[in-house]
Amino acid sequence: MICRVLLASFLAAAASSTALAQVQQASSPQSFDQLLQSAEKARDEDRNDEAIHLFRLALVQNPNSEEALWFLGAMLYEKEQFAEARNVLRSFLAIRSDAGPAWALLGMSEFQTRQYPRALQHLQRAMAEGMGDRKELMQTVFYHVTILLTRLERYDDSLDMLQRMLASGAPDPTLIEPAGLAGLRLPYLPAEIPPDQRDMIALAGKAVVALQMQRQDEVNADFERLVIAYPDQPRVHFLRGASLAELHPDQAMAEFERELAISPSSALARVRLAQQLIAAGEYDRALALAQQAIQLEPKRASAHMMAGEALIAKGDTSGGIKELETARQDDPSIGRVHWDLLRAYAATGRKDEAGKEKSEIEKIYHSNSPSHSQSLGDSSRDSQPPQ
Amino acid sequence: MSSIIPGFLIAILMATSAATSPSHFEAIAKQAETARTQDRVPDAIRLYGEGIRLRPSWADGWWYLGSLLYDQDRFNDASSAFQHLTSTSYRGPAYAFLGLCEYENRNYEAALKSFRAWAGAGWAGSPELVDVALFHFALLLTQDGRPVESLYLLASVAPRLGDVPELSEAMGLASLGLRYLPENYPPELRERIWLAGKAALYAAQSPHDFARADEFASRLEKRYSGQPDIHYFRGTIFTFENKTAEAEREYREELTISPHHSPSMVALAALDLEKANRVEAGELARHAIEADPENPEAHHLLGRVLMENGDLHDSLSELATAKRLAPDNAGVRAHLAMVYAKLGRSQEAKAESAALLALKNKEGVMAPLTVKLRGAKEGAH
Repeated sequence: MICRVLLASFLAAAASSTALAQVQQASSPQSFDQLLQSAEKARDEDRNDEAIHLFRLALVQNPNSEEALWFLGAMLYEKEQFAEARNVLRSFLAIRSDAGPAWALLGMSEFQTRQYPRALQHLQRAMAEGMGDRKELMQTVFYHVTILLTRLERYDDSLDMLQRMLASGAPDPTLIEPAGLAGLRLPYLPAEIPPDQRDMIALAGKAVVALQMQRQDEVNADFERLVIAYPDQPRVHFLRGASLAELHPDQAMAEFERELAISPSSALARVRLAQQLIAAGEYDRALALAQQAIQLEPKRASAHMMAGEALIAKGDTSGGIKELETARQDDPSIGRVHWDLLRAYAATGRKDEAGKEKSEIEKIYHSNSPSHSQSLGDSSRDSQPPQ
Repeated sequence: MSSIIPGFLIAILMATSAATSPSHFEAIAKQAETARTQDRVPDAIRLYGEGIRLRPSWADGWWYLGSLLYDQDRFNDASSAFQHLTSTSYRGPAYAFLGLCEYENRNYEAALKSFRAWAGAGWAGSPELVDVALFHFALLLTQDGRPVESLYLLASVAPRLGDVPELSEAMGLASLGLRYLPENYPPELRERIWLAGKAALYAAQSPHDFARADEFASRLEKRYSGQPDIHYFRGTIFTFENKTAEAEREYREELTISPHHSPSMVALAALDLEKANRVEAGELARHAIEADPENPEAHHLLGRVLMENGDLHDSLSELATAKRLAPDNAGVRAHLAMVYAKLGRSQEAKAESAALLALKNKEGVMAPLTVKLRGAKEGAH
């Protein structure tokens, strides 16, 4: 299905390469030309096996023919010969590295052959190169990027992708399980969900989607059901706490505490709890939790950010700045860290450095679209300044 | 006269050829290098191709051609380039790349062979290449039914690489002795591979993160308590943590689920031997050999028990079998040296000691995980 869309849409690109093909044909014009024409005719008449055979023969004559490589790759994909499609598409992309739809097909082929890290890389390349206005193809690519991000434990990125997908269209039931998996931080593809966890993941997914779509009436009921049905499952209380953080901070803190009782090694629950405690003015406890989180995950920027904020609030500005600078080094894209540093540098008379932070903030706010998904994961991704 | 002229012409032609070919080749080589450094990859590939056609012995050309093709995921072509380098100074890293290309081409048997050749050549390559090659080598060892060796390799990079999902997946497969690659295991195994992998990865960190290892191992045990290999895995984590009573309980639990589980019998025998319970250690080692005659650790354990009982000839026979099954196991060589010394066969004792030293110098390339773990514990003390 995707392939047909691609075939049709990519004809224009293939046609634009005709001039090159003609030059290439000069050395053996008849045989290559005839083979290509016959192959295309066979393809148009749905004689696909014959078309594949003819495209292969054409490639023997001219291994760099963009048209032959593209059509062969696309047809092999359509016939679910994914490993072969992948090899042909790689050759095509070595010549046409700007072809977004080809990156998409390559990534999808790699997804089918279960080379997940590479599939993600190439599907993201498809997104970067662009797929024109082909909505169906884009949705397919976005969906697979989302589930692969979760599979590779990049849950916050996955939640961001979900947010983008939900923002761009009507509610899609196929997003429920990916939302549940990303929300519960379970690194499975939907096809890998253990049967006895499917209900829990669906319930969590429904709640996450409701939250991301800001259907507040459903959010509370869905999370309530989730917590009642699965009180001992890791990440359930965290998710509930994250959903309550903005409007009901006290209840959120209680949920994060429950999460820590179930998942004692959760750095993320510590960070979110520290964030709530800083907002409540409980800096000592916040600092202790942030430092524990740093010990568990030294590279988690948000843990350093919380430690920095707590230290500054306690009066240790130089210690706080040091932590904030570590956070900035670990993840320069966090707006809140730059805000914290701007204030700290300004308070200590370091005007030049404060100025630099101001420009960083402007850059970040110009490049980022507002997102709500961060509240379900690592709060450091929230680019809003601290209150 | 007539014979002189052709000779003269040939001499002139040869001189001309000698004068133009190298300069032409050098020009191409320079252009290739420029294209490569300017990131004009298709041009660089074409120019290196041209260069090696002009001078097939150009090792640098093959190297850069292979590397560029590899970076473009053109593994078939890259593989051919690296084949040309296995008898040059690029031999070591060329074997690593060759193994990687063969892996990508799903030619797993050849890939394993290439990785072994790479190890034999001293694990050469840039740090990035070593990490990637070692990872794939480990995957293939797991698939080949050598999970202990695989885990040894993976555990050696885990502290540096940290919590990387691909690494924990590989450790999960090896920890549970599942003879699959990440790309071909059944989806229903995903959860247990993830949980076991995380537990193994955290246990292998430096300093060890046993709290998190236990969290994941405990979740695994809760979810799959009736499944084979789960309690054995839990036992290995407890052993690593020096919690011998808990480890023993888990190994025995495994034997109630899988009565012929040779690794559990070996693990229990090792614990018995530490407690000087040589009778049960010997019985368990014998049962383990019955269950799996090809288990080198079972023969090793029985050899140690027999040695401690003073039955040196039978001990020698068991240790020799262990050596045949695991020639790179430094522990086996150490015990063989001891038995030979006790038997007064000093030449053979010296030979085994020398082999032991050589293996230690190779950092126990294929030493069992227990050796590494023992080393880690000693280091901690």
